[in-house]
Amino acid sequence: MDKLIVCRCEEVDLDTLVEHARQYDCSARELKLRTRAGMGYCGGRTCRTSIDALLCHLTGSAAGDELPLKVQPPVRPVSLSTLGGRLES
Amino acid sequence: MLDAVIVGAGPAGLAAAIACREWGLQVVVVDEFMKPGGRLLGQLHQEPDGRWWNGIQETAALLDRAVELGADIRCGVSVYHVEKAESGFRIYTSEETLLTANLLLATGAAETPLPLPGWTLPGVMSIGAAQVMTNVHRVRAGHKGIIAGINVLSAAIARELQLAGTELHGLVLPALHPLTAAAGHPRKVMESLLRIAHLAPSFWIRAGSRFARAGWVRSLALRFYPRSGVKLWGLPVHLRKALVRINGVDQVESVTLSDTTVDGQPVPGSEQTVDVDFVCIAGGLYPLAELAAVMGCPFKYVEELGGHVPLHNEQMETPLAGMYVAGNITGIESAKVARAQGTVAGLSIAARALGGSEQIKLQRQLAEALHHVNETREQATIQFHPNIAAGRMKMAEAYQEHVIRQ
Amino acid sequence: MSNMRIVDHPILGKLEERPAVSFTFDGRPCEGVAGDTIASALLAGGIRMLRVQEVTGTPRGLYCNIGHCCECRVTVDGKPGVRACLAEIQPGMIVESGKPLPQRKELAPHA
Repeated sequence: MDKLIVCRCEEVDLDTLVEHARQYDCSARELKLRTRAGMGYCGGRTCRTSIDALLCHLTGSAAGDELPLKVQPPVRPVSLSTLGGRLES
Repeated sequence: MLDAVIVGAGPAGLAAAIACREWGLQVVVVDEFMKPGGRLLGQLHQEPDGRWWNGIQETAALLDRAVELGADIRCGVSVYHVEKAESGFRIYTSEETLLTANLLLATGAAETPLPLPGWTLPGVMSIGAAQVMTNVHRVRAGHKGIIAGINVLSAAIARELQLAGTELHGLVLPALHPLTAAAGHPRKVMESLLRIAHLAPSFWIRAGSRFARAGWVRSLALRFYPRSGVKLWGLPVHLRKALVRINGVDQVESVTLSDTTVDGQPVPGSEQTVDVDFVCIAGGLYPLAELAAVMGCPFKYVEELGGHVPLHNEQMETPLAGMYVAGNITGIESAKVARAQGTVAGLSIAARALGGSEQIKLQRQLAEALHHVNETREQATIQFHPNIAAGRMKMAEAYQEHVIRQ
Repeated sequence: MSNMRIVDHPILGKLEERPAVSFTFDGRPCEGVAGDTIASALLAGGIRMLRVQEVTGTPRGLYCNIGHCCECRVTVDGKPGVRACLAEIQPGMIVESGKPLPQRKELAPHA
C-alpha cells in the first residue's frame, strides 16, 4: 500500500509506527516520544484514536478504560498574549 | 462566582441552560463556533411520519427559549483549560477566565478518522465537515464527491448532499488496513447495516421505492454484495468497492477504487480511477471529552457508546462534585436524546445549587426528565448503535462500582 | 464560482440575501457573505488549499471543520494560528495561507 499518513501534523506514516511498535514493544506514550506521532500542532487530537487502534491491533488486546495518550492543556490553540495575561493575574 | 458554566451550545448545552434559567441560576454558555446548535445545526432528515427534522429550526426553538429566559450565550469562545478552584471550577477561555460552582461539559462528539493514502490533500474532509458546509454555510463541498465509509451517518449526510444538488459518485468502503479493520470489512459493515435496518425500517424505506425493509435486507444478503452496488436514493452503495488512494497535486483530483472480496481484500486488476474534487471520510463518532480528561475524570471504554466515555450516572453527574456531562460526550445518540439529557443535567445542577425548599419540586421535575430521556431513546428512529441501552447500563454499573470503591 | 453557493434548497428554502464581505487571501481579493467563515468563503470561491505542512510542504486544507484538527489554520491580520473554520470573515480582513518553515540543510533523523 502507498504511504499511509497516520499523524497528519507530523506526517508519521503507518509503516513507521508499526516498525517502532514492533521493535520497541511500545506503549502509546513511547510510540509518541519515538516517532513524534501525537506531538504535533493538534496535540494528538486527530491521531489519538488511530494510535490506540493500531496498538490494540498489534498487541491483540482490547481497548483499556484509561485514555492511552494523556490529554494536556491547553486543549485548544491559545495565543501567547492570552496566556501571558493569565500568568500576571 | 457563577452558578454554572456550560461548555457547548448544542442541543444538550442549550436544554441545560434553559433548565438552569427556569430555576433562576446564573449561567454562562460558551461555544467555539460562531453560532449555537453544535451538530444539530446541520442536521436535515425525514422522520417516519414524513416530517422533516430541520436542525436549523430545532436550534432556533431552543435558542429562542434560552434567550427569552436570559441565558448568557457566548459564541466564538474557546475553552482551553479547566481546573478545580476554591469551591468550584476555573474555566480558561480565549476571552476571559470564568469562576463557577458547577460545570457542564456538553462538548459533543468528534469523528474517527480513517487514514487513507492521499487523505491529507485539500478536498478530503470528514463527512461532518461536508454537512456543516452544505447545510450551515450553504456552500457545496465540491462539484462531485465520493464517500468512504458506509454507516447511518454517512448515508444520512449523503442524502443531505444530494438534496443540496451536490453530485456524488456513491458510497464505498475505505481500503482495508490495520486502522480500518471494521469500516473496511464488507461483511462487518453489512452486519452493522442489517442491525440498524432492523431498528429503523422507516429510514431505509424512505431510501427508495424499491426497498422496503425486507427488500433492503434481502437485496444485500441474497444478492451477495452486487458488483454494481445497492441503490440508496439512487446513490450506489458499494460494499465490495474500496477507496485505495486519493490522487491530486494541490488538491483532490481523483480517487482510485478497487473491487474487493467479501473479506475486503483487493481484487487484482480491478482498479479504476474516478474523477472527483472532494472526498468525505466517514469513520463514525466518538465522545469529545478532552476537558473531562484534563479534570482527571475517570473514563470507561464502552463500545456501544462510541469509545472512551467519562464516568457518569443517570443524573448526568460525574464522580467530580459539581462537574456534569450531557449529550454526545456521554455516548453517541440522537440530538433528541442529547436535548433530553441536557434538561436532566440542568435540573441536577439546580438541585445542587438551590436550597432545601425547592427540592421536592426539583426532584419531581428531575424524575420526569429522566423518564423523558428513556422514552426518547425508545422512540428513536435512527440508532448509531443497536445496543445503546446495554451501553448505558454498562456505564451506570461502572459509575456505581467507582462510587463504592471511593 | 457562484454555483458553489446553494442558493435554493428544496427543504431549507431560498438563501436569504446577505451583504457581501470583501477580504484578501494571499493578496488576492476575495468575497464572501456576512456569516461566512474564512473556510466557507474560500470554498465558495473554489479555494481549498489553506496552508502547507510546515516541514514537508504538502498542501493542506480544512478537514474536520469544527476547530478540532487545526489543519485549516491561517494568519489573519498578522495573527497566526487562526482556525479558518471558526473565524467569521470581516470586511478588509487580510488572510494569509500558512507557509513552510525555512528549509534546514539537514533534519535530525527520527529515533
